[in-house]
Amino acid sequence: MKPFSEQDHYEALEIHRGATAEEIERAYRMALSTYAEDSLAGYSVFGEGDVAAMRERIELAYRTLSNDAARQAYDAELSNERAVAAALADAPELAESGARGGASPDPAGLDALDEFDEESGEFDGPRLRRVRLRQGIELDEIARVTKVNPTYLCFLEEERFGELPAAVYVRGFVMGYASCIGLDAHQVAGSYMKRYEEKRGSRKRSLFSRH
Amino acid sequence: MSSTTAIGGVRASAERMGGRSLSADSGQLGGGPDRAESQGRARLIPFGGGKGGVGKTFIAANLAATLARAGYQVVAVDGDLEGANLHTAIGVRRPRRSVADFVSQREEDLQKLMEDTAIQNLRLIPATRPNLAHAQPSHAQRIQFIRALRQIDADFVLLDLGAGTDVTVMDYFMVCENGVVVVAPEPTSIENAYSFMRAAFYRRLRLSMVSHDVRKLVGIAMDERNERGIRTPYDLLREVESLDSAEGARFVRSMRAFRPRLIVNGVRSAADIKLGFSIRSVCRKYFAIDVEYLGYVNHDEAARASVRACRPLVDTHPRSNAAIYLTRIARKIVAQDQTEEAR
Repeated sequence: MKPFSEQDHYEALEIHRGATAEEIERAYRMALSTYAEDSLAGYSVFGEGDVAAMRERIELAYRTLSNDAARQAYDAELSNERAVAAALADAPELAESGARGGASPDPAGLDALDEFDEESGEFDGPRLRRVRLRQGIELDEIARVTKVNPTYLCFLEEERFGELPAAVYVRGFVMGYASCIGLDAHQVAGSYMKRYEEKRGSRKRSLFSRH
Repeated sequence: MSSTTAIGGVRASAERMGGRSLSADSGQLGGGPDRAESQGRARLIPFGGGKGGVGKTFIAANLAATLARAGYQVVAVDGDLEGANLHTAIGVRRPRRSVADFVSQREEDLQKLMEDTAIQNLRLIPATRPNLAHAQPSHAQRIQFIRALRQIDADFVLLDLGAGTDVTVMDYFMVCENGVVVVAPEPTSIENAYSFMRAAFYRRLRLSMVSHDVRKLVGIAMDERNERGIRTPYDLLREVESLDSAEGARFVRSMRAFRPRLIVNGVRSAADIKLGFSIRSVCRKYFAIDVEYLGYVNHDEAARASVRACRPLVDTHPRSNAAIYLTRIARKIVAQDQTEEAR
């Protein structure tokens, strides 16, 4: 780790030297939310002017790394600096570790948390919610894309089947929801609707048996 | 863990569970009472976080229960003499023994303070009924307590700490380099968590320094308003290096070794989950602390119900969302433990 002022663009965005365009984009968005004026993570830490300086640094890193030509030129510059530093320190491993990006921190991706997630079986409401949260997607974003009322989306997750409209609509909601969070819409809808029919069916039966 | 016996202990358990019993679906936890199989010293995991009410005890109790249900020998220790309630979270309503007996020197052997719980493989050292006049252990007792914790015959010893950053809490948090910090997605909790991690970090640095002058310098840096203008660990490092280069190298080693693990409890939105990554970033850039984001547990009504029922959630609602998240964290802890063993 280095003081912020001495970090290179990769370190500033907390990505490794070989980061893909998608990883850079994601790290950039993450950094913007971390170093926002109203950032919860910055509470009690950020001093006056800190956020502006930090964002300027992040923007510069992002502008350079998200442009292929600028990134290549920057990488060459970095390698040169490392080679010089290594020669001065007479330590060839410095140059090597730089080339491999060995000293850089892990990518700021959200996936790192879920390396052990290997759920299988049916897609129920809570599982859909888990997948959604893991992807960092809010319900409102799904509502915007699918044009489905967020209240219904919430009912889908909570499996409040009695409060959802007819099955044909629910199926559409589930498919829209699943596509938004990167799941196979047909597979998810098939699994979810099976549950829906079972629960709805049993509810109808219990209504009958009471009368 | 450094001893070979300890390696044997954890590996035996891990093989017993085939590395798979801790599935994401916590309904399938395996395991059995094989107390004889765990030999030697345990992996110690302290749970701190600065603020009260963020769920340290809830998380410690549930991770202890999850690991125990997976077949690991687990001892849950209540390190909070002034607000003991780990026993309640685990489901032991009236503990007969207490860490207080150790503090008041009625009992020297920590092993004798262990109680069985209703959960197989899970034992408890409660901290009820402290002597209100002298609740906190002395410096010597703290050292003795930590030594005794290291001798416990189990795979994992989970140590639930109190709120705040007093010396007892900090000393217990130092039992390993990667204690767990629990935060809730609220400014009050975040603020206290930062103070907590900084306190732990500087305390650790000061203890690892040999020279008296350098220790004094670290002490000065701990005062945020210090007049020497030392604001960040990097400023401090420069000063240490100019005083003594060998100490500078020790400083860097100690700085790198400290890797607290973060759990965000009570998340309600994707933004709350991202908070963990943001905290990690802020810690790296501002405090030179390399935090690891261990995981998150969602806000779940089932959790509240389990607290009211005085039993771990993974027992009362094993298929609840929060239980699945807790199981995920437990699996990560086991995997990390095995990686460290392999090193």
